[in-house]
Amino acid sequence: MFYLSQVEQNLKMPPHLLKPSLLDGELEKGIRGELEKRFLDKVITNLGLCISVYDIQSFEGGFIFPGDDGCATYKVRCRLVMFQPFVGEVIVGKIESCDEFGLQVSLGFFSDIRIPERFMVQPCHRGEDGIWVWQFKVDNEEFQYSLDIDEEIRFRVASVKYPPTPVEQSENSKPFSPMEITGYINGDGLGLVSWW
Amino acid sequence: MKIEKANVGNLTNFEVFDFLRTRGATSDPMGCIGSVSPSECKVFEYLSGSPACMQTRESVNEFLIKADKFKFITSFEKLNIVNSTPTVMPALYATIKDCDKRIAKEEEQIAKENQLEEDQLQELLELVKEIFPQPAEEQEELSQ
Repeated sequence: MFYLSQVEQNLKMPPHLLKPSLLDGELEKGIRGELEKRFLDKVITNLGLCISVYDIQSFEGGFIFPGDDGCATYKVRCRLVMFQPFVGEVIVGKIESCDEFGLQVSLGFFSDIRIPERFMVQPCHRGEDGIWVWQFKVDNEEFQYSLDIDEEIRFRVASVKYPPTPVEQSENSKPFSPMEITGYINGDGLGLVSWW
Repeated sequence: MKIEKANVGNLTNFEVFDFLRTRGATSDPMGCIGSVSPSECKVFEYLSGSPACMQTRESVNEFLIKADKFKFITSFEKLNIVNSTPTVMPALYATIKDCDKRIAKEEEQIAKENQLEEDQLQELLELVKEIFPQPAEEQEELSQ
């Protein structure tokens, strides 16, 4: 689910952050703070969601370029903890909502996980209350297992997509998600954790 | 921003959990303020509910060394198993892709395919249960 990524960034340290850092001798702490502001909780295309700054390997520079409002620019090399599950990974999440297209699963810190109808346990149908139900048939006996909201669900990652940022969005459309994960639960051991 | 190396190394859930814990994250969301950001706290909360919170560095290393003898699983699948610690056979099936076909193909020369694949999987499952005990089982042992 997580991996380390090495990144080089030209970081601008504004003067009001530099002064306390330099006086205390804690420039690294100040740089770390700026890096976190820059990267934390942001999605980097093809790398994933940045969870945390793992460490700062080196920083150099500190020159003040003309027209920069007095910001000192440092060239920082650091490692970031990225969240990007690989295809085929098995993850446990919670069902957040369901609609006519399928389920939406959340991990708490990341909610753009969809399980479309074609990837769900077959055969299944959507009940009157909107909840998806799995009809399991064994020896002429039929069991109905419903996929309720807030249930823990184990799914396998089918794909991770990074849709491009839309230039224009109509008012009613859902908020843009920079990283979308599609999962499937059509297999042994997958589906609600309580089933197995 | 320049990406020097996209993937320096994979991290197990346990390693991320440990890293956030040393940075000062706790299960109490109010206690986290100041040392870690709210988003890191959410990740910590998620990992606290997963098997990663019960693991130790030694147990993960031990599993990886012992699982080496199972030639049919790749390192990604070992990562999958460490992150999800399956305790029942269907859960193990889920972590290994096309597991029936793979084991049968490799051990074709040796007789009795079905029995062999079950043995290997059962052995792997026992190894997982031995190294990563579930909380319910630990409580049973304590009461005994």
